[in-house]
Amino acid sequence: MHHDDVPDRDDDLARLFTELPRTAPLEAGEAARLAVRLRREGFFQSPRRLVRRTLQAAAALVIFTLGAFAGSQYARRNSLEEMLARKQLSVADRVLLLQRAGSAYVRAAQSYADATAHVDSNAVEVASRVLLGAAHAVARSSLDAGLSERLTTAMQPAGAPVSPTRKPIIWF
Amino acid sequence: MTLAHLPFELPDGALIRRFLDGDERAFRMLYERHTPRLKMTLQRLLGARRQDVDDVVQDTWLAGCRGLHGYRGDAKFSTWLTSIGVRTTLNHLERRVDRDTELLDEMPAPLTTGPASVIDLERALAALPDHQRIVVVLHDVEGFTHEEIGEQLGMAAGTSKATLSRARHALRLALSEGVSNAS
Repeated sequence: MHHDDVPDRDDDLARLFTELPRTAPLEAGEAARLAVRLRREGFFQSPRRLVRRTLQAAAALVIFTLGAFAGSQYARRNSLEEMLARKQLSVADRVLLLQRAGSAYVRAAQSYADATAHVDSNAVEVASRVLLGAAHAVARSSLDAGLSERLTTAMQPAGAPVSPTRKPIIWF
Repeated sequence: MTLAHLPFELPDGALIRRFLDGDERAFRMLYERHTPRLKMTLQRLLGARRQDVDDVVQDTWLAGCRGLHGYRGDAKFSTWLTSIGVRTTLNHLERRVDRDTELLDEMPAPLTTGPASVIDLERALAALPDHQRIVVVLHDVEGFTHEEIGEQLGMAAGTSKATLSRARHALRLALSEGVSNAS
């Protein structure tokens, strides 16, 4: 106790102050209740646990990144452009490529016609000629089993004479 | 929860480091070591609102734990914690000033004969105005200097001295009246 004070301190009062109890009893569970509140605020998480959680988060991030990279590689490898550029393709892949490329081609022509029909009256005609040109290109490749001939016939305007010896006209 | 005990003789610094490392046992040991004294001090500072002491003790510990990273060990941990307790008590008293919680009647009755006792002193302390009670408790019971009290309460050391003088005068008056009434 300090005595750096005013002169009005008397011995009786000083004695009473020294006799005052200095501690109060703890109630059961006081520390536990406070510990619960502290735990809710994030205390009592050991650094080891924090390190483990950080590592888990980092591992999850790495796995996600690798997965995203692998997915993008797979998607790129199977893109139309990549498949068209590849020489080594199985028959099944070639059938798939034919379907996808043909569908894409037709869809592109159709969307071009849809997008420009209201500003360009020739758009539909141009699109149909593009598709016709594609068909000619297919016919020119002289596919087997009479496919070329059937395509040529199908492309003739209605009523026009069919000449089996005439070569198809290719327009692109 | 069953917690294995730590060696009781571990100093505060070691317990604080362990607590900051997430050791709940260290926290409990700090709590059990320092709370009995803190509780009595805050109870005395609260005066007529002494029934709020458990809330104030808990708020003090929460504030202390949140700020424990900033504890540099310049002062004893008990002193540092008591300083937080004083600030928490002041905030509590300011918040609750509108509540009429006169509890003097709930305090023990004074002795009817003989010289003034510590119970009389407790009653007299509780009856003092808040700022006088806080100054006299911090100085005469807890041993803080006027400079430390001034720093905690935001007043000059001279103001603390003057307040202490008035508080002692009021205490002597209350105690002498109590004794003369009893005899």
